[in-house]
Amino acid sequence: MNRYRVVIIEPATLIAEGLQAILAAYPDVERVSCIEPNADIAHQLRITEPDVVLINMSVAHLMDSCEELESIPTIGIQSAIVAPATQNRFAHTITTFSSAEAVKSAIREVVATPSERSYAESHELSERERDVLVLVARGYTNKEIASELNISPHTVISHRKNIVHKTGIRSVAGLTVYAVLNKLIDSEQL
Amino acid sequence: MNKITYTHDTSRLSLDMKIVELIDCNSSLLSIFDRLDIKLPFGDMSLSEMCQRDGYPAELFIEFCNMHIDLSHRPNLDMLTTEMIPHVVSYLRASHNYYLNYMLPHVASHLDEILTHCDNLSRATLRRFYDDYAKCLTEHLAEEEATVFANIDSHTTPSTNLDTLDTPHDDINDRTNDIASLIIKYLPEQAPTKARCAMLYDIYALRDDLRRHSNLETYILKPLIAKLKTGSHQ
Repeated sequence: MNRYRVVIIEPATLIAEGLQAILAAYPDVERVSCIEPNADIAHQLRITEPDVVLINMSVAHLMDSCEELESIPTIGIQSAIVAPATQNRFAHTITTFSSAEAVKSAIREVVATPSERSYAESHELSERERDVLVLVARGYTNKEIASELNISPHTVISHRKNIVHKTGIRSVAGLTVYAVLNKLIDSEQL
Repeated sequence: MNKITYTHDTSRLSLDMKIVELIDCNSSLLSIFDRLDIKLPFGDMSLSEMCQRDGYPAELFIEFCNMHIDLSHRPNLDMLTTEMIPHVVSYLRASHNYYLNYMLPHVASHLDEILTHCDNLSRATLRRFYDDYAKCLTEHLAEEEATVFANIDSHTTPSTNLDTLDTPHDDINDRTNDIASLIIKYLPEQAPTKARCAMLYDIYALRDDLRRHSNLETYILKPLIAKLKTGSHQ
């Protein structure tokens, strides 16, 4: 069983500490850290190396300016009414009314490793997923991939999740080997 | 005799169990004897008799066995004392030695055989991937040696920063799984099955052993060091 490192980016102390208390008692969670939205988030993420970030939707704009956040699965915390566009940025959300079990199951869903999931029925990558994979193998960041393919960083993250799910390979180095073995990339492109 | 019995899905171990029964129950437990350099033969010796003979804490030894057999087993910390820390470190250090000097070179030699059947680019990329993996694991183990084990050796255990024991286990675990996936699913069929299977046996054995290693650090070494820190502050 993998154990997960969780980071909470939440301006409200009550919500942050409530979530931290729930997650600290969860055996699958190795460590829970809280980061204040006005802290140096990129630095804190590099130190804490989370597997998942729970971030309040009211500070979702932080995701635009923090490259480290782009490559980590996120769960939106909804504690107030937010614009639909903001809500749509999150594939997984919890609210202040969510039960402890709902919070845990959202985390499990987001961070489950390929071996813990059922294997994907189709292992065939879509054309877009192949495009993303090639750029990942060439060392592009999510932001650079988004710009190159003219899609949003969150769509890139979604493609990357699908690629991991379909190939069963999680590391960038492993995905590079996959791209080479499947002739998706040649020596000129590496 | 002080009898301790643990029951799991897979095992029922007790201190008065004969060593031969213990190994018969799960032959991979031999690796514990090997790493602790416990001398064979055992004759009809029980586990507690063997521990008494070799000056090894029996309660710790049985927890090593339990955690080896069952990855979800968690030790009874009430039975473990801070005096056992050097024994834990000695075992973890022997495991480091096993990974660095046996497993990694062994897997690399299987990989080399497989790579002779790949094209140049695949060969170079896969080899680099494995070398990076081996480097990452080696660096992590060296950091544990330098920041945790060295403090214990020099009797400055309470000043140990335990974060090192956490740092990149998940990354190493991901990469270990990635190697297995690449060999099983994507390596071209020209690569010989025998070498491929030999490598996979080793990779899965290494993965499982690293998980056990991580569990020993998390559920035995860290709590015992924490217990020692608490004691030193009182």
